[in-house]
Amino acid sequence: MTVSEAELGALVGHEFPGGRYSIAHWENFLLTEATGRGPMPGDLAHPVHLFHVPIAGAGTSLAELFALGRAESDASITIDYYDWETLQPLREGVEYEVRGRITEHERTQPGAGPIVDALGFLFELSDPDGRPAARVAFRWHYWRWNP
Amino acid sequence: MTARVGDRIPGWTMEVVSDARMRTVAAILRDPNPVHWDRASTARLGLGDRVVNQSPISLSYIQNMLMECWGPTCIKRLRVRFPGVVFEGDRMKAGGVVRSTEVGGHPGALECEVWLEHEDGTRAIEGTAIVEPGPPGMLG
Repeated sequence: MTVSEAELGALVGHEFPGGRYSIAHWENFLLTEATGRGPMPGDLAHPVHLFHVPIAGAGTSLAELFALGRAESDASITIDYYDWETLQPLREGVEYEVRGRITEHERTQPGAGPIVDALGFLFELSDPDGRPAARVAFRWHYWRWNP
Repeated sequence: MTARVGDRIPGWTMEVVSDARMRTVAAILRDPNPVHWDRASTARLGLGDRVVNQSPISLSYIQNMLMECWGPTCIKRLRVRFPGVVFEGDRMKAGGVVRSTEVGGHPGALECEVWLEHEDGTRAIEGTAIVEPGPPGMLG
């Protein structure tokens, strides 16, 4: 049975535990290589880290985000949008403090199609001196094919 | 050279999207979604027999294009949607065009329309980027 709209709406405001994350050299090297370019200069981290560093740093995981939205399966989620704001370049070895929360829920059912629940997330990174480093927002669609 | 509205950003091409790279990324991201590493999963979903590239890695092709043009710290903001899917074996090209040279709160910044497209021109990603050109580059 499909999760109720009220149950998902109650997730708005949910805060993740928060925590710290430091990008390791091996991680930066391998992830940068996977993007198809050569290594980043110096200790700069590739900005693609703005996908998983906020999630892991805030003390959650992709699996938990899937579960919180009551995904029917790991493959039943699509992306609405990403909004990645870089306030200072990410660097290897810097211990970023990360906070994150769920910001919105919206249920739609276009036409005779399946129910789609959209959940919005916001994560904020700051450096060890407390200066903002990045602000990452995204919204996912959880498709309900089996009501 | 100063960037002007309408200037095209030199494109960046991923010649072949690699399933091996997807497996590396899935491990680093701890991404449980099997469509990135199990062809049987994509087949069950009616998506064919090729695995699906992770969205941030597809987005990174746009990031690479911007960094190649304006330097490794140029990207200030990326806002994108994903109208299409990128599969293993695809050849993808990132592109963009300067839309504004006046960006509130970012002196010297440029606002660009950016996209990632397949060989036939269909788009997998589209959105906007705000960049601050670093040391003199191709357009900055």
